[in-house]
Amino acid sequence: MRSFFWENLRIALSELWGHKTRSILTGTGIVIGIIAVSLMSTLINGVDTLFEDSMKFLGRGNLYIEKWPWFGDEDWWTLRNRPEIELDMADDIKERSEYALVVAAERGRSANLSYQDLSAENIFIHGVTANYPEVSTVDVEFGRFFTESEDRTGAQVVLLGSEVAKNLFPQGNPVDKMIFAGSKRFRVIGVLAEMGKFMGSFSNDTQVLIPLATFNKIFHGPWGKRTITVKVPEDRVDEAKEELRGVIRVLRGQKPGEKDNFAVNQQNAFRQTYQGIKLAIGGTGMVITALSLLVGGIGIANIMFVSVKERTREIGIRKALGATKGQIQGQFLIEAMVITASGGLVGLIISTLISLAISKFIFPANMSFGVAFMAIGLSIAVGLFAGLAPARKGAKLDPIEALRYE
Amino acid sequence: MSLIQVKDLYKIYQMGNTEVRALDGVSLSIEQNEYISIMGPSGSGKSTLMNLLGCLDTPTNGEFFMDGINVATMGDDELAHIRNKKIGFVFQTFNLLPKSTSLRNVELPLIYNGAIKAADRKGMAIQALERVRLGDRIHHKPNELSGGQRQRVAVARALVNNPAIILADEPTGNLDSKTGEEIMALFDELHKQGNTIILVTHEEHIAEHAHRVVRLLDGKIASDDLTSRAR
Repeated sequence: MRSFFWENLRIALSELWGHKTRSILTGTGIVIGIIAVSLMSTLINGVDTLFEDSMKFLGRGNLYIEKWPWFGDEDWWTLRNRPEIELDMADDIKERSEYALVVAAERGRSANLSYQDLSAENIFIHGVTANYPEVSTVDVEFGRFFTESEDRTGAQVVLLGSEVAKNLFPQGNPVDKMIFAGSKRFRVIGVLAEMGKFMGSFSNDTQVLIPLATFNKIFHGPWGKRTITVKVPEDRVDEAKEELRGVIRVLRGQKPGEKDNFAVNQQNAFRQTYQGIKLAIGGTGMVITALSLLVGGIGIANIMFVSVKERTREIGIRKALGATKGQIQGQFLIEAMVITASGGLVGLIISTLISLAISKFIFPANMSFGVAFMAIGLSIAVGLFAGLAPARKGAKLDPIEALRYE
Repeated sequence: MSLIQVKDLYKIYQMGNTEVRALDGVSLSIEQNEYISIMGPSGSGKSTLMNLLGCLDTPTNGEFFMDGINVATMGDDELAHIRNKKIGFVFQTFNLLPKSTSLRNVELPLIYNGAIKAADRKGMAIQALERVRLGDRIHHKPNELSGGQRQRVAVARALVNNPAIILADEPTGNLDSKTGEEIMALFDELHKQGNTIILVTHEEHIAEHAHRVVRLLDGKIASDDLTSRAR
């Protein structure tokens, strides 16, 4: 049986070579289909990787108590009229919650920074508590983080994000230098390690960290977004969330039946929304891809019917010389599969090149081995299905009639 | 037992309401190394008999033993195996694959044989081509060969599997008379080498190469005689 396979492969290749233009035109449908399917999967994988990388910024076991929910369809006015989060709740929460391991508070706003004649505009000033490193992924590269007593006393010390440090101190160590934030002088005590971007926009690298108390002292008024971050055991997030809601409702004196006037956000919300979007895009993509492969497959079936018709006499000769139905069927099936597999291979090469270009210029989208394998498998399967009816037609021909065919 | 044993063979086609008896009770036996021609005007059942003897078709009724095997009731795939191993066809229109070389054309029956290793095929095909004196044309395609050479490639293809019979259907019909005689000389030679040859023809001078002539008329055997060539 194996020798028939090679024989059929040989026949198929010489047939396709003999009809170069026809083969190329026929295969193009499959090329396009395979480009669609493999790029689609690669892009989704890329977005997945990007998403997971981004999610590292938000600890899995972190709950973020904020005025605004991250997702949801509540009425904007209701949300807007909620009271701001009182950051001094942090201590009470730590005291009352059983699940809370760490409770950190933060606030932020933009301001201009300067050092000597260099300046950096619209830098995000982040006022955080001394335990901020425990609830985030910031790392100090040079120098140190501020201490609890610096936080409590409102010391004018600052840690620079890597980008900010590069801009204000193009050469030399920023540690112990004095910079201005607005009109206030701060001593640089450290530089944060580079982190990259979060969801492609916000980056820790372009912010600076100062103690929360210092922030409150300098920037009076209702400035900036406030967040209390509560770190809880990763496997108890759901219970902890319920408990926290209760604690905050009590602290805020909310009545039973009254809706929460705050939001407890978590990474999961991102994850669910993302999964939903991914499913929608992926699903649509798969339908389009399936359609393009179907169209390609119809093209193959059509050309295989033509091929069987044209080669009626050849089929007659082969049958007279002892070819069985199965052997004739195999010959045309392999021919169809060779067209689609070559189309798939070409499509795969093109989409690999495209995904390399995307990786280089837009975002990481690497063609995985699995996707390549699936693309080739899929193209062979299309050939099998498209070739089946024509191949059976050829196999069923009566040798006497076929030999007479002109 | 005879090489071919046919008894009360019928082939009946239903054309609308009329029944056409293409073969109407034919009995015939052909021995090993016989050289026989089958003659008859068109419509006599000559082609039908040839298709049955070539195992391209099955009879409506009757017995047909080839080399001791009952082929009358065989299915398509079994018949394909019989054709491959027992029968070497030579057609009026050569029926070579136009895009394949002589070598590839002659190899074809060996490919479908299944029992022959790929490595042995080439040697066997070259040997068969040498038997028809085309050893120097193995890489030529049919359109690079003359009509006589094409028919010789077809004969080589018929020989390559060492079949029990060589079945030639008007083998000289598409050749000029000189080339036709060359091909007939080749058949005479193959017969001397021990092959069994069945010629289907309507030309008397071709039929006379055989040692026995069977004439058909209206689906029945009209005569079955030895020719002058038979000793």
